[in-house]
Amino acid sequence: MTIGGWITMILSVGFVTGLFVYCVCRVLFGAQPGPEDE
Amino acid sequence: MKQRAGAAQSRKRRGVHLGFAHPGDNRFIARMSEPKEAWSSRLGVILAVAGSAVGLGNFLRFPGLAAQYGGASFMIAYFISLLLLGIPIGWAEWTMGRSGGLAGYHSSPGIFHAIVRHPLGKYLGLMGFIIPVVVYMYYVYIEAWCLGYALNAANGTFSTPGVNYGAFFASFTGAGSDGVAIHFGLKDVGLFVLLVYVLNFFFIYKGLSKGIEFVCKWGMPLLILIALIILGRVMTLGTPDAAKPDQNVLNGLGFMWNPREVAAGLRNPQLWLAAAGQIFFSLSVGFGAIITYASYLRKKDDVVLSGLTAAAANEFCEVGLGGLITVPAAFVFLGAAGIAGQGTFGLGFNVLPIVFSKMPFGDFFATIFYLLLFIAAITSSLSMLQPGVAFFEEGLALKRKAAMGLLALLTGLGTLIVWWFSKDLKALDTLDFWIGTVGIFVQGMILVMVYSWHIGIEEAWKETHEGSAMHIPVFYKFVLKYVSPVFLLVVFVMFIAANVFGWNFAFGAGARFAPTNYVTDLVGPNPSNVARGTFLFAMAVIGFVGWLVHLAGKNWAARSNGGIKP
Repeated sequence: MTIGGWITMILSVGFVTGLFVYCVCRVLFGAQPGPEDE
Repeated sequence: MKQRAGAAQSRKRRGVHLGFAHPGDNRFIARMSEPKEAWSSRLGVILAVAGSAVGLGNFLRFPGLAAQYGGASFMIAYFISLLLLGIPIGWAEWTMGRSGGLAGYHSSPGIFHAIVRHPLGKYLGLMGFIIPVVVYMYYVYIEAWCLGYALNAANGTFSTPGVNYGAFFASFTGAGSDGVAIHFGLKDVGLFVLLVYVLNFFFIYKGLSKGIEFVCKWGMPLLILIALIILGRVMTLGTPDAAKPDQNVLNGLGFMWNPREVAAGLRNPQLWLAAAGQIFFSLSVGFGAIITYASYLRKKDDVVLSGLTAAAANEFCEVGLGGLITVPAAFVFLGAAGIAGQGTFGLGFNVLPIVFSKMPFGDFFATIFYLLLFIAAITSSLSMLQPGVAFFEEGLALKRKAAMGLLALLTGLGTLIVWWFSKDLKALDTLDFWIGTVGIFVQGMILVMVYSWHIGIEEAWKETHEGSAMHIPVFYKFVLKYVSPVFLLVVFVMFIAANVFGWNFAFGAGARFAPTNYVTDLVGPNPSNVARGTFLFAMAVIGFVGWLVHLAGKNWAARSNGGIKP
């Protein structure tokens, strides 16, 4: 595993994992539409 | 200009609007009855869409491509495709689905009928019905392999000394010769085909919330948990064979991720085609599932964050899990030579059983790995049935049981063809290419063009942000209007040039063309009767569904006119 390999892997896996965690947190803890909006 | 103004006035007089549906506004759109089904939660629909997207390709196809095209350059093209193609077209599909649903339509032809407001509009959604139904015909067969391999692994079949993995695959799947797969023992696929058919239709019968959402709410977390357990096992394999010190986990990861010549790689059109194609097919955009699932949302339900979250879940499973499991595990036990040239099925059903047989507690890990693939497959196959059921219910006014019966007959016929004509998986491959690949490109193109150009980017943008939990950066207006359609068109042209006309990916004087098997199997001196028959079957399905959409259009027009048939 070269340094380039480590960088590619960490950036790729880190990006998708970060995006996934961010989105899930926004969905779970973000504001939900209230009954008046439905 | 005068003619256009006249046409606009004429449309206005007829009460026709070419934009989006606004519930309660009968001037703008033909509303049908209120939706009978709905998602029980925002997380439910996100997991359902993510479940639809996460499939075998995440764990088998993506790692093979990334390793083949050399880490960094492939990933750069892959992420650019994700940002310019996958995510924006996904937002367009979510938006159009929700708008169609608010007008009372849940099938792709119905949704396009409601949005386009032209007698031919419903046919723009034709492929959104045909693709999931036809793909289901062979996908459910592969799903049966996963379940069968899981049970055979649990039974110790793959750790039996002297087992021939290639022969097992040929016999189990019927890839060896036609007709051999129609048997019903543990080491045959037959029992599992029937089982997955029953399971799929059972959950569809249970409905959107109690069936699909239930399976995805439990299935997706379980899938991620299993993948993490297997990932832990793979990462701790170390150097299993001291006589082959090079075959260790770090070198396995290096085989997958080490960058080769990045600049040269990015100049390779083949790499861009592979990366963009993987994104497009992996996210299931243009497939017909997202548009149907989104049609069960309410007016103020967010589509921006939901669409992004579903895409992110798919990418996490593909890059974060699939990218770290399959290829490194195979490399550790078999080396680079054991992986080279293996396609999706070769890697998953020929190579990995060997890998698991060499691994401590291999039967256990093989069982849960194929269970993982089965969960990924069933959450996808359920999303292929709902568009069909929705169309039969709303287009032909069938009750749910009748709609399911008709769909079971249609898909069952196709599955029988794939099951019987299994030699070299020719029937499966033919359907997958012409419908499951070419068809998705076509539908994806129609979708983004209708969103950005027919509706108009400003109107569509406003509709997308209705009830949104986050805002899309404004430059995505430009992306959706120009970049995504052009990018998709270029990829599609390259795909056809390479896979139909056999382009060698060279430009200028060096360019060569030689028709591929997909063409020579149909026309030429040595055609394949199975490929020809399967292709004709696919065309017959398109014709049949086109006729059904015509009938549905009459019904919808009659309902718009207060029940008076035109």
